[in-house]
Amino acid sequence: MSIRTVYFIVTVAIFVLALVVIAVYYYRRSQKSAQKNWERLLKRLAVVDRSSIAEVALDIIDESGQRRKDEASAVLEPSEIWKLVGGLEGLEAMEANCAVLVDLAFYVQQWYPEALVVAEKLRLSAREIEWHVGRLKSAQQTGKLENAFTMYAQPAVATYYLMTRQVLALYEEGNLAMLAELRNAL
Amino acid sequence: MRLTGLDLLFWAAGLAAHLLLLSVLLVRRRFRVFPIFTAFIISNIGRTAALLFVRLYGTKTGYFYTYWSLTALDVVLQLSVVYEMYSLTFRPLGRWAHDLRGAFVWLVAVSIALAAGLTWLATPDAHLWMQVVVIKGSFFSAACMSELFVGMLVLAVRSGLPWKTHVARISQGFGAYSVIDVLIEAGHSYFGVGRDTQAYTTLSHLRMSAYLVCVGYWIAMLWRNAPDSRKLSENLRGQLIQLQNIVDSDLEKLRARTR
Repeated sequence: MSIRTVYFIVTVAIFVLALVVIAVYYYRRSQKSAQKNWERLLKRLAVVDRSSIAEVALDIIDESGQRRKDEASAVLEPSEIWKLVGGLEGLEAMEANCAVLVDLAFYVQQWYPEALVVAEKLRLSAREIEWHVGRLKSAQQTGKLENAFTMYAQPAVATYYLMTRQVLALYEEGNLAMLAELRNAL
Repeated sequence: MRLTGLDLLFWAAGLAAHLLLLSVLLVRRRFRVFPIFTAFIISNIGRTAALLFVRLYGTKTGYFYTYWSLTALDVVLQLSVVYEMYSLTFRPLGRWAHDLRGAFVWLVAVSIALAAGLTWLATPDAHLWMQVVVIKGSFFSAACMSELFVGMLVLAVRSGLPWKTHVARISQGFGAYSVIDVLIEAGHSYFGVGRDTQAYTTLSHLRMSAYLVCVGYWIAMLWRNAPDSRKLSENLRGQLIQLQNIVDSDLEKLRARTR
């Protein structure tokens, strides 16, 4: 047996093993997502300070989601935003909650497939927050976190705030029984 | 090469299984959702019948050209089925999810590079260069298909886009078969078709058995209906559209702020 054949056999074995491990891991993850029930989803929500989130978000947008242009808008200092959001850990908690929000929207979709539009919008918003948090993590590594925080954190918080409003609106419009429970969790 | 009774049995079983699957696709109206997958199954039926006909009544040269033409068509259709499954999963609103475009390019590039690297390592024992091309080509195709289906699963889970019931079943069947096929094609390459073709033939029968199991799985899964859904009221539909417009506008403004 030539050395190249040995390499071939070993490489194919590693290749197939890797494919199987990846497939099993992600298949189990997808099964867990599909089997989630309402209580399990709510348990996954990380604790965030709702009033602080609203304060940071409403500094740049109004309740309807429109950008504020009045003189009293965008007045929060970076240090205040940092404190209200709970720093990078607070943003990471919001990032984790984004995934739960998407799952909540898909939970509704089990009964109303037309809710896909909202679910897709929420998914894209979640990805956007991931992007913002990613920039902040990079800034932390290069020691420029303070400057980056205002630029990326406040829009991320505003997006998160809008997402929570969207999910609540979705449940409200669907007249779903678990709305009160969701209001408390979010 | 003479056909044995077992070869003919696999041939007949493959034809029967494909005919049954096509009946399911037609009776259950699945062909409307999966036109390319249906075309792939029809082409498999046509391929089996055409090759049998040419083998019984044609020449060796005729069989050679028919086999290669239909194999090329089969590869194109397999890739088209991959496209159909990706399209049904990653186009939730009728257009490709824009946050996944980069991931698609990476996935295709890595899949081709890995499959090409593995294929380059293969050194099958064969008399003719054409046999080497067949063995290496089959291995490359199996490696690519397995990567694309596993990659699809990874992207769907990571991006939060769920598989619809029947898309998941077709993809799982194809994915599992492709991974098994990688092992079998690696075996073909290792044993080759030099002095003794017994191992090559046994592995081919194993591959056909795995594929028959896969077709059986598709028949059972595509016969079943997806879970029922409730009808959205006109009032709720209108509110959702309104909500979507607001969200569109909000996100555009937020994006502009970070540019």
